[in-house]
Amino acid sequence: MALKKTALAAAVLLASSPLAYANDLKINGFINVTGGVLSNDKISLDGYDDNPSFDQGTLMGLQMSKKVNDSTSATVQLVSRGSEDYKTEASWAYITYALNNDTDIRAGRLRTPFFYYSDFLEVGYAFNWVRPPSSVYRLDGLSSITGVDITHRFNIGNVDGSVQVYTGRYNDDFALNGDIYEVELRNAMGAVFSLNQGNFGARVSYHQADLSFDANSLVTNRILTTADINGNIGVDLTDPTAVADALKGSRALDSLSSIAELRGVEADFIANKDKSQFYQASLSWDNGSTALIAEWTGLKHDTALLNDDTAWLVSAAQRYGDATVHLTYTVTEDDLESGLVGQVQKNAQSEENSIILGLRYDYDSSTALKFDIQHHDEKLVGGTKGDSGFLYTVGMSLVF
Amino acid sequence: MTVLKSFSKLLIALTLFIGALAQAEVAVIVSASNGNGSLDKDTIERIFLGKTASFADGSQAIPVDQNEGNAAREAFNDKVLGKSSSQLKAYWSRLIFTGKGTPPKESGSDADVVALVAKNPNLVGYVDAAAVDGSVKVVYKFQ
Repeated sequence: MALKKTALAAAVLLASSPLAYANDLKINGFINVTGGVLSNDKISLDGYDDNPSFDQGTLMGLQMSKKVNDSTSATVQLVSRGSEDYKTEASWAYITYALNNDTDIRAGRLRTPFFYYSDFLEVGYAFNWVRPPSSVYRLDGLSSITGVDITHRFNIGNVDGSVQVYTGRYNDDFALNGDIYEVELRNAMGAVFSLNQGNFGARVSYHQADLSFDANSLVTNRILTTADINGNIGVDLTDPTAVADALKGSRALDSLSSIAELRGVEADFIANKDKSQFYQASLSWDNGSTALIAEWTGLKHDTALLNDDTAWLVSAAQRYGDATVHLTYTVTEDDLESGLVGQVQKNAQSEENSIILGLRYDYDSSTALKFDIQHHDEKLVGGTKGDSGFLYTVGMSLVF
Repeated sequence: MTVLKSFSKLLIALTLFIGALAQAEVAVIVSASNGNGSLDKDTIERIFLGKTASFADGSQAIPVDQNEGNAAREAFNDKVLGKSSSQLKAYWSRLIFTGKGTPPKESGSDADVVALVAKNPNLVGYVDAAAVDGSVKVVYKFQ
C-alpha cells in the first residue's frame, strides 16, 4: 500500500514536472554553411573579396517555442552569424497571443516584414539562392524591430489571405557599404497584405519610420580645412577630385555631409527624425515544378543624406527531381533630387544589376546543396563608372 | 500470447506490404461523428498546408500526418499535396521560423490515425483504405 502511494506520488510529481511538458517545447533549427569568392576585388558584394571565405554567409539559428496556455506561446530565435564573429543574437523573441483562430498578436523583438522573403531570410533551406540577392534585399541591418504586430488570416472562397500590421522602434548600429552608423527608427510602422490562390501569390507592403542617422561633417571638415605647418590648406576645395581624395577612408555619409556643406546645402543632408518610406510588391507563381517570382521595392527618404532608390528582381526556377535550376535578374537604381542637392547626392549615386544562375540539389528532405554564379555589374559607384565581375558561392542549408 | 501478438503484427505488416505493392487506395478520413459529408481535394490540401483551419461547416479542422516513410504519407504528399518531401520541408520551414504555422503532427501509422481520428471530430487524417472501419468516415479517396 505504502509502495503504491509512493508510486502514485511519483507519478503525480512527474506529471507536473517540466519534463512531462517537454512535448510542448518545440525546438527547430537551421544552419547555412556558405563560401564565396569574387573574380576580382574591384567590385564589392556581400562582404566577399578575391580570396575564398566562409564567414559572410555562415550562420546557425535555434528556435525554441513553448505554449504557455491555450492562447499564449513564447518564441525565441537565437542566431549566430559568421559575419558578426558568431556572436549570438536573439533575432526573434516574442510572445504570441491568439485572439481567436485567425488573429494573432505578437509582442517583442520581431523580424521587420519588408520583403517577400523577410520572414525566413536566414533559413537557407526555404529558398533556392545561396542567399537572396542583396542589392534588392538591402535593409539587412534593420531586419529586426522591437514592437507589436497583429496578423489576421482570412479566406474568401478558395483565396487565402492575411493582413499584418506592426509598430515598433529600432535603435542600433547599422552597417552601410562597410561603414557603421548609429541609426534610430522611431514610430516605425507598416502593413503587409498578402493573397494566395492555388499556385498564385501576391504581396504588397508599406513601411514608414522617422529616421535619425549619426552622419555629420565634423571629422571630415577637419580633414578638409586643417592647414599644414606652413599654414597652407592642403585641399583645393574647388576641385571635386581633390576633395574626394582627401575624404577617402572617412565614412561615406560624413564625407557627403562635408561636400553638402561646401555647396551650402548641408541642411538637406541631416537625418534627424526625417520620414523614410519603403514600398514593396511581389507576384509569385509555383506549380511544384516551375516557380516564378517578381518583386519590386522602393525607398523614399525625406532627408537627402540617403538616396531614394528602386530595386527589383525577376526569378524563374525549374525543378528536375531533386535538382532545381534557377535564373534571376536584379536591378538597383538611385533616384536623385533635382538642383544642387541632387548634384551633391551624385557623389553617392549607385546603379547596379546582377544576373544569378544557380543550382539547388536536395540531398535529403532536410539538407540542400547550392551553387550560385552571380555576374554583378556596378554601372555607377559613388557617381562614377564602376566595374563588373563574378561572385561564386556555394552553400549547404539544413533545417531540423 | 506474445507469440500470437507478434504473429498478428507480422500479419499486419505483410498485409501492408502486399497492399503497397498493389498500389493501395488511400482514404482521407474524419470521425464518424463529424458532420461534414465529403471534402474536395482543394480543401484537404489547404487544411494540410495550414492555409485554412476549418471545415465547410465552420468547425475547427486539425490535420494529422502519418510518420515519415509510411506508404500512405508518401502517396498523400504526392497525389494530394503535389509536393516532394523536401518541397514540403521547405514550405514548412517558411512558416515554422516565423511563428506562422506548424506542420501536422506525426501520429504513427494507419491504425494509430484511425484510432485518433475516431475519437476527435476535429481531426482529419489519411490511411490505407483497407484500414478504414466504422468509427471513421471516408471523405475523399485516391489511388
